Amino acid sequence: MMSLASRSGVFSPYLQATAFAVAGPLKPLVPGVVVKGEKILLDPKKQFLSRESLNGQSPKTGPAVTVSINGCAGVRFAHTDVRIPDFSDYRRQDVQDPSKSSQDSSESRRTFSYLVTGATTVVGVYAAKTVVTQFVSSMSASADVLALSKIEIKLGDIPEGKNMTFKWRGKPLFVRHRTEKEIEAEHAVNIAELRDPQHDKDRVVNPKWVIVLGVCTHLGCVPIANAGDFGGYYCPCHGSHYDASGRIRKGPAPLNLEVPYYEFPDDDTVVVG
Amino acid sequence: MKGIRGISQLSERFYAAARSGQSLVQPMAVHKLSTRAAHSYQDVHVTRLPSGLVIASLENYSPASKIGVFVKAGCRYETPDNQGVTHLLRLASSLTTKGASAFKICRGIEAVGGSLSVTSTRENMIYSVDCLRDDIDTVMEFLINVTTAPEFRPWEVSDLTARVKMDKAQAAQSAQTDVVEGLHAAAYKNALCNSLYCPDHMVGNIQSDHLHQFVQNNFTSARMALVGLGVDHTVLKQVGEQFLNIRSGAGATGAKAQYRGGEIRLPTTSSLVHSVVVTEAAPADTLAFSVLQHLLGGGPYVKRGSNTSSKLFQGASKATADPFDVSAFNVGYSDSGLFGFYTISQAAVAGDVIRAALAEVKAVANGEVTAADLTRAKAQLQSQVLMSQETSEGMLEAIGTQALAEGSYHTTEEISKNIDNVSLTDVANAAKKFVSGKKTMASSGNLIKTPFVDEI
Repeated sequence: MMSLASRSGVFSPYLQATAFAVAGPLKPLVPGVVVKGEKILLDPKKQFLSRESLNGQSPKTGPAVTVSINGCAGVRFAHTDVRIPDFSDYRRQDVQDPSKSSQDSSESRRTFSYLVTGATTVVGVYAAKTVVTQFVSSMSASADVLALSKIEIKLGDIPEGKNMTFKWRGKPLFVRHRTEKEIEAEHAVNIAELRDPQHDKDRVVNPKWVIVLGVCTHLGCVPIANAGDFGGYYCPCHGSHYDASGRIRKGPAPLNLEVPYYEFPDDDTVVVG
Repeated sequence: MKGIRGISQLSERFYAAARSGQSLVQPMAVHKLSTRAAHSYQDVHVTRLPSGLVIASLENYSPASKIGVFVKAGCRYETPDNQGVTHLLRLASSLTTKGASAFKICRGIEAVGGSLSVTSTRENMIYSVDCLRDDIDTVMEFLINVTTAPEFRPWEVSDLTARVKMDKAQAAQSAQTDVVEGLHAAAYKNALCNSLYCPDHMVGNIQSDHLHQFVQNNFTSARMALVGLGVDHTVLKQVGEQFLNIRSGAGATGAKAQYRGGEIRLPTTSSLVHSVVVTEAAPADTLAFSVLQHLLGGGPYVKRGSNTSSKLFQGASKATADPFDVSAFNVGYSDSGLFGFYTISQAAVAGDVIRAALAEVKAVANGEVTAADLTRAKAQLQSQVLMSQETSEGMLEAIGTQALAEGSYHTTEEISKNIDNVSLTDVANAAKKFVSGKKTMASSGNLIKTPFVDEI
């Protein structure tokens, strides 16, 4: 129909009522409204009335209404409808009265805040220290290992001249009940001749009992008791001879047999470790 | 290879500079169009798909593209139980859809610098997006989502009530909107009497179901047109076939508008009286009425001019010295139309201005029109039609409404020819129809001196 082609279009410049969502830079502004609570106040600006200002105000055709994203927005003239929420549940009693000065209570508020912060910090530091030490100390030896670290030996079971071997900390432990002859013989040894000079007195607490680790200091074999040329131990692997005090006398071993820490809680028992 | 092609193009450029007498809008004679290409490049291409969807496009080589979906879903298709649904629908264009949330739509469109807008008239609803050429895919996705797959979530729809109220308040700021809406309410018994804005009793009562139902009934393929400016026709056709064929069928047919001719008076305290007097104009006479509109005075053509070419203005200026404005009012719909005049005047002289305007129209009906006047009116109408197509919005709307109503596009040459063929007798007959027809009147302002429709 020709009819539709010739009428003026809806996008012709007059009578477009527009409502927009987001402000855009290029389109002209529509007259704004003021939103006050639930009421909408209209733009109170009145145009100066003259023949010129009225010229062209009559519509020539039917209206079209447009809504657009990225058009221009209604201008807000006032912001009295913006509501700030009420936070009085979270505020201190001292400062809720808007007409009272807050300086009066400032010191007490400050003290309280700082005290609480300080105490929390101290407690926090201690807690942190506890946690850290607990985690770090978990890497140290566990209880079963610690339980194995000491051994208690009844000395009455060991006759004179006999060497008994115990497993201690994964290693063999020699406990030797020395005779008087052996003790004097060891005391009489000239220290200057020894590869690893140590007097017997320095290696034993009670001369009747010598307690050493049964690990050869050469390459770690277990020496045989009451063997060798010096009346002590003999390591069969490479031929190291130890005496009755566990000192190296002949053979490739460089050091004397290791003496662990031990003590005699009473005459009949010794606790090693 | 590229270099060789470049050289051949170079020679063409020099040839182009040297050619004379050939129109620059037509391809060069060297390039022969294939015989199957019936159109040249800048024609409007219109295709109607089997489902009834009409696809129209124009390649205008513009860096910005515009795509519109035109739907026969204006407020005339509202039923009495869902009056105001088109107002909500207009505002609901940016709400969540099945493929994109409201946030995604807004952000996605802003990210490419485009805009999405909905315009509704009494007959059509126009969803349009514009963007740069390269971003068509992005905005097209949003457009398709909004038109075919809206969700109308109930809480989002109920949030729109505040916007409806704001819209109505803003519309009420201009008396012209009130008067024209009142005019339609008074002139018709159904369909066209519905207002573009939600009536007061329905604010807050339009639910998500109403919107869904309205879309189901009216957004069908047979009532839609997909129009693009600066878009390739094949691309648009593909989109139309794939996405806009969702609802087939003709949907609910609108009732034929019945003119009743009434009167509505809206008294306010404003000292300016806005008044419009119209009669029914059959669609067949639209051209004659349009020429008559410009003959009588269709608004100012010159800024700060004295409207010497406007008969209505000159007649009314003899009736009063106060500031006033008068213009011929002409609106056409698919099955009806309204023609008359609109006056704005001071309260005390409202009656005089209206009667003076009516006298001018009677003079035209009696044949007191010179040929020069007619030529001027035709030229003004032609220039208005052509100038409205200067902007991309106007062009889109022109192509879209024609595609939607008829499924074809009439070039401006055809329209100009038809305008030229309007004769003096046609115009005089049109004026006679106005003078003798049943009138409708709508007035607002301080109405003490404003006559009733049977008194003018």
